[in-house]
Amino acid sequence: MFAVIYIPNFSLQAVLRGDPAGDAPVAMVDGESSKPLVIEVNSSALAAGVETGLTANQAMARCGNLRLKSRSDPCETSATEILMQVAYHFSANIEATARGTCTLELKGLSLEAETAQRAWGIKILDSLATFQLAGQMGFARTTELALLAAQVAQPILVVQNLTEFISVLPLSVLAPPLAIGNILDLWGIETVGAFIALGRDAVAERLGEEGLELFNSVLTDSARPLKLVTPPEFFTEQIEFENEVETLDPLIVVLRRFLLQLTRRLTVIHLVTGELILEFGLASGEKIQRVFKVPAPTNDVEILCRTLRTYLETLQTTAPIVFLSLAIRATQLQGHQFGLFETTLRNPNQFSETAARLAALCGAGRVGVPVIEPTHKPDSFRIEMPRFDATTPGRKIRWETNQTALRRFRPVVPAVLDFREQKPIFIRSQLLAGNITNTRGPFVSSGQWWNLDRWGREEWDIQTVAGVHLRVFRSTDGDFIEGIYD
Amino acid sequence: MSDASIQLRALLAEKFPGMATQLHETSAVSPPVWPVQLSSLAANWPNELAKGALTEVVCAGVNTGSAGLMQALLVCGARENQIIGVVDGSDSLDVAQLDPNVLSRLFWVRCRSVPEALKAADLMLRDNNFSLVLLDLKLNPQSHLRKIPATIWYRLQRLIEKTSTVFVIFTPCLLVKATRQRVMLSSFI
Repeated sequence: MFAVIYIPNFSLQAVLRGDPAGDAPVAMVDGESSKPLVIEVNSSALAAGVETGLTANQAMARCGNLRLKSRSDPCETSATEILMQVAYHFSANIEATARGTCTLELKGLSLEAETAQRAWGIKILDSLATFQLAGQMGFARTTELALLAAQVAQPILVVQNLTEFISVLPLSVLAPPLAIGNILDLWGIETVGAFIALGRDAVAERLGEEGLELFNSVLTDSARPLKLVTPPEFFTEQIEFENEVETLDPLIVVLRRFLLQLTRRLTVIHLVTGELILEFGLASGEKIQRVFKVPAPTNDVEILCRTLRTYLETLQTTAPIVFLSLAIRATQLQGHQFGLFETTLRNPNQFSETAARLAALCGAGRVGVPVIEPTHKPDSFRIEMPRFDATTPGRKIRWETNQTALRRFRPVVPAVLDFREQKPIFIRSQLLAGNITNTRGPFVSSGQWWNLDRWGREEWDIQTVAGVHLRVFRSTDGDFIEGIYD
Repeated sequence: MSDASIQLRALLAEKFPGMATQLHETSAVSPPVWPVQLSSLAANWPNELAKGALTEVVCAGVNTGSAGLMQALLVCGARENQIIGVVDGSDSLDVAQLDPNVLSRLFWVRCRSVPEALKAADLMLRDNNFSLVLLDLKLNPQSHLRKIPATIWYRLQRLIEKTSTVFVIFTPCLLVKATRQRVMLSSFI
């Protein structure tokens, strides 16, 4: 037994997911030909007399408020992904049969009864409806029949009696070649049932190999094996903007909608967002890509949206944005139980956002965890983003209670030191000036003499007549105050 | 008690649930504190710091030991595996003097001005991931510090009053209006 999910007007539905039209009449035109023809219409446009095959002008003449849309590959790719992922959630054996068509095998799903099949189909269609895709489903013993059933289903059709089903099935759903279609039309054959009633030999004799193929597509007894596919655990939503985007607000609106869609898709298959991959296409042809790791994987749209917003608030592009793609790399939900002696972050996502905001405020490299560089050069450190969850409790911490703490001046303050008998006796600087009453030093150090970054200095701890304790040093660049003891 | 007073109390209790509207309610529970036991190291260092409130450490003049007290607090916090935020108002913290295990628990924000430091402190207190936040304004010019509106401190106080964060502000002069605890450090030489 097989089921087919069929999404009528797939290209139009894929585009309208990103731009809901409500009840307004909408038609899709094939933008690649010189004289664009209507290829798909929604129900409102159909009611207004717009049909496929009309030119855009003819369609507009029939319906004044008709909205014309062009096909969008990114939208169709996203819609296909959704279709396959929803189908995969309900059956492990699925096939991407055609654009907007997915075949599912019911083997092992205990869906023999018609009521069970209908209930199962409703669940699938409801899942698709949450992604603004209206589908139809057909159930039959062969894939071909299930597809035919799906095409005429409203919205679910289970084929129990083949003769009864094909007796009312219009011949057009078989999409016969034009020549054969014309002949059958002349013969007055309008349903598949009437066509089958001609008999296999008669069809082969009069209509040749093409006619026989058409006949067999309905009456084949053997089920063809499916070309099984597994949808990737990579979820993308994309949009090509009709108008160039230059401000933040429209981007946020689109991104929020993308996140809603993507997180719903993840929720269906019980996964959460591990990584966000944001990509912009600029009008200049340049592309910008940024990857955001979600510290505590989640499907909370507010948290994910804040992460993107924090980045976008500081983003400056050289040209307007014409394309936007948001992808999610899914991961399993990680449980976390807080301990009595809590050592990890309470809310890692909030912390990540705060760190990003602080970095935007103070500048990158000025926010994070300091790590001392393996060098003797004073004040050498680098800043890293923290991993507070990686630290282990119960460590010994070394601390000299009697050491004098230094407050550093960054950058160091230029000064002029007067020396007598190789000891500083007077200091002048923008901070202070005065006699030096007490000194310790010099403490000589140098390093990296083997490359261009070589350094050397003589350092003193001094006490001025005003009682201020300073650390000063002399290097090849002059005399400086490094900090104040406090 | 007049009807007007009763109505006012009822209105306040409705608008601000949990707020004490009568005198005996305020003394029932003592405010939470973080015991640090530092007075054994220096006589004028505190033994406990208020949680969910502003603590000002006034270090007027030189050689007050404020940098040492800051280091001591960092070490105490790290020994208890706390996540510590330091908003360094003038980028003066000497990280080389600290143990790597302290540094691994330290989230350091190196600011260049007083407004930047206050914004950073605001963000960190809103984050609610830090159990100890230190705001060091000791080396910032007093002329800049005097321009801080009092409302800033009240806002910061409102931010942390519902949390258990210990928030210590190091200042060169009396500055913070909304403080629950104030520690005065004077020159030890």
